[in-house]
Amino acid sequence: MGPSGSGKSTLLHTAAGLERPDAGRVALGDTDLSAASEDQLTALRRSRIGFVFQSFNLIASLTAEENVSLPLRLAGRAPSAAEVQQVLASVGLEGRGRHKPRELSGGQQQRVAIARAMITHPEVLFADEPTGALDSTAARSVLELMRSMADQGQTIIMVTHDPSAAARADSTLFLRDGQIVDHLTGADTAAVAARLVSLEA
Amino acid sequence: MLRLAWSSFTERWPLFIGAILTVTLGVALVQSSLLLLLAAAAQQAPSGADDVTALQLAERSLVAVTVLAVTLAFAAFLAVFIISSTFAFTVAQRRRDLALLRLIGGSHQQVRRLLVSEAFLLGATGTLIGIPAGVGLMHLQAALMARLGFVPESFTGHWHWWILGVSIGVGLGLAVTGVLLAARRAARVAPLEALRETGAATRVMTRGRWIAGTVLVLGSVLLIGLAGVGGPAGGQAMAMLVSVSAAVGFTALSPLLVPFAARLIPARPGAVLAHLAKANLRDSVRRSASTAAPLIVLVGLVLGQSTSLLSFSAAAQEELRNSTSADLVLTSAGPRGLETVDGTDGIAHLSIETSLPISVTTGTGEMAFTEIGRALIIEPERYSRAHPGSTTIGQLPAEAAIAGPGALGTPVGSTVGIRIGDIDLGERTIVDQVPPTIAGGAAVLLDADSVAADLQDSGQTTTFITLEEDAKPSEVVDRLQGFGTVLTFEEWLTSSAAAGTTTSASILLVVMGLGGAYALLAVVNAVVIAAGERRREFAAARATGLTRGQVITMALIESSTVTAIGIGLGVLAAVGTLLAVVTTTTATLGTASISVPWLLTAMLIIGAFLVTALTSAATTITGTRQSPIRLLQSRE
Repeated sequence: MGPSGSGKSTLLHTAAGLERPDAGRVALGDTDLSAASEDQLTALRRSRIGFVFQSFNLIASLTAEENVSLPLRLAGRAPSAAEVQQVLASVGLEGRGRHKPRELSGGQQQRVAIARAMITHPEVLFADEPTGALDSTAARSVLELMRSMADQGQTIIMVTHDPSAAARADSTLFLRDGQIVDHLTGADTAAVAARLVSLEA
Repeated sequence: MLRLAWSSFTERWPLFIGAILTVTLGVALVQSSLLLLLAAAAQQAPSGADDVTALQLAERSLVAVTVLAVTLAFAAFLAVFIISSTFAFTVAQRRRDLALLRLIGGSHQQVRRLLVSEAFLLGATGTLIGIPAGVGLMHLQAALMARLGFVPESFTGHWHWWILGVSIGVGLGLAVTGVLLAARRAARVAPLEALRETGAATRVMTRGRWIAGTVLVLGSVLLIGLAGVGGPAGGQAMAMLVSVSAAVGFTALSPLLVPFAARLIPARPGAVLAHLAKANLRDSVRRSASTAAPLIVLVGLVLGQSTSLLSFSAAAQEELRNSTSADLVLTSAGPRGLETVDGTDGIAHLSIETSLPISVTTGTGEMAFTEIGRALIIEPERYSRAHPGSTTIGQLPAEAAIAGPGALGTPVGSTVGIRIGDIDLGERTIVDQVPPTIAGGAAVLLDADSVAADLQDSGQTTTFITLEEDAKPSEVVDRLQGFGTVLTFEEWLTSSAAAGTTTSASILLVVMGLGGAYALLAVVNAVVIAAGERRREFAAARATGLTRGQVITMALIESSTVTAIGIGLGVLAAVGTLLAVVTTTTATLGTASISVPWLLTAMLIIGAFLVTALTSAATTITGTRQSPIRLLQSRE
């Protein structure tokens, strides 16, 4: 986390292979993302990387179920209905599969986006301000969902400037002016907030 | 992919409905013109008709065929242009969607396949509606042609099953190929673009546009220069081509020209809305260029073609006046008895000229080529007195002919075969030629002594009469009344000018009428597509403090400015044709002859403004109906 303009999103984009670094190397497991071709990156996005964003970026014309199954369809593998149901259930959206995004609340839309990212069982889930557009109740439940995913072994890299969101993480890195300037492990909301205030001072 | 294509199709139908309509009309227009063209070409004279009547009918159907061929070419050109640009625009408007697809693992190929599948669905739907619509249109077009006298009342087109192949090729083929190029570019979209709120400014001015635009505009300039040395027929063709090539060239360069022109339009300091509108125009290059493009083509083509048609028909009258020396003109059916008038009281001189339809064969054996034309039966010596500077031959041998003002490819020394149906007028050697004219005219001039008298009587005769200085014109007119219609030379010129203008106007109506409606539809379409994507932008403007009325006014100013720029560039293309008309007529007549259809110009400009203003107001009113804050909140 870090103040606006500190380079959080750029770092996330670079780590996820959406932007290429000018210098240095980005590795996902033993794959060098900075050297991967566009086709290789496409393949990675289908199998090993998942994304969740502040704006949910769902495809408006498709139902929740269809949105969720799309990454696998793009990879040439149609998931079974049960598989899709199960993923939707895991984000707490049983019975909402046939709704279109606009028929869902913000929190529900974000859950669909998480389900869409999770259906490929990615090695890393990248989340850019996933709660930024949500009210506090919806934000809390999304964060709880992500925490429980992490507890089950899912690696999540999240960018946020909400201290209460950061406090759910195992480890928090602080950025300022494009540099990593601090590192906290297992801090609570107050500790994270205090550190953030000192950075912005 | 077809499933995803179908769902985005059902979701975004307002964006796609215009695309379907363009395909529908394109298919209908091309199909109808093609079927009518075939029917016109296959027209047969009723059995029992004599040779001259049969040839006259063939001559008339040749005009119908030509008009329909031009209509077909125009329809096909518009279909290619409008369908491909509409589809490219729909692709461009969906960049964010496509980036999103890439973000969740869609490959280049998949994005491309999605777009092509969509184009396939749209093209198929448009074709499906277009085929029956084409049948209806065919009846309408045939009735119009009959009403304007190009074809007999009984004329109808006939359905051919193979036309289905053509229509599917036009509809589906154009939709898919139109999208292929745009899809290639769109598939290269970076996944990150999905995350940008406002959408990245994309480069609209591609290398292809640069090359095509520059070549076409330079080509138009070259054509203007060449029109002066192309001869009357070549000059006319080149002049007509100038506005087509310039309009398409400007369209290709429109992402450059439209923002530039927008900069030039003055806005009162302090006029906030006007400034906002201008900024929007400059910023959304693709949107403003896509709206201006069909306007440029519509205005450029309609004004360019009508100006050249009218100017050349005026020039033809001027030319006729300069090249004819007569006081009275007598028109009659055949020259029978006119010989007796010669030398009678008050008449100093006359030239009897009878026009007959003929078929002319040039070349021999494999290379033989026959076309329908007209022969003018004259007495060379009298003809050269009535048309000073035309020919110097005094006596024309029976086996000889003079190349007429409308001759093509029959140089002095060549041999042509001349027939009227079964009647053979023999192989004739071209011994002289009269200067080619803007109006064209007879392919060959034949000596009256070399054509049987009864054959001449089935032609139309025009006799140019020069009076003696002390003659009383009214007495001569009275004496000639029995032979046919007598007019003074000026009256005759005026009536033939009126006839020429009517024909030109009829041709324009047939060729441009439906095409113009089609181009106007493309304009509406572009405005609708452009506005459809702007709900959020409008909401943001209102959140900034604009009232709904101000947003609508801003959109109106924007669309009117784009309309003005599109019309301006279209007029510029038409001016290119006007310049070519000037060089052509100056080269042939010595003076420039131009005639501009002011009424049509005014109607076109007012119509274009009305249509864009109404469409823009309607779409903006719909687009701002929802409360701005709700629009801003919901992303999806």
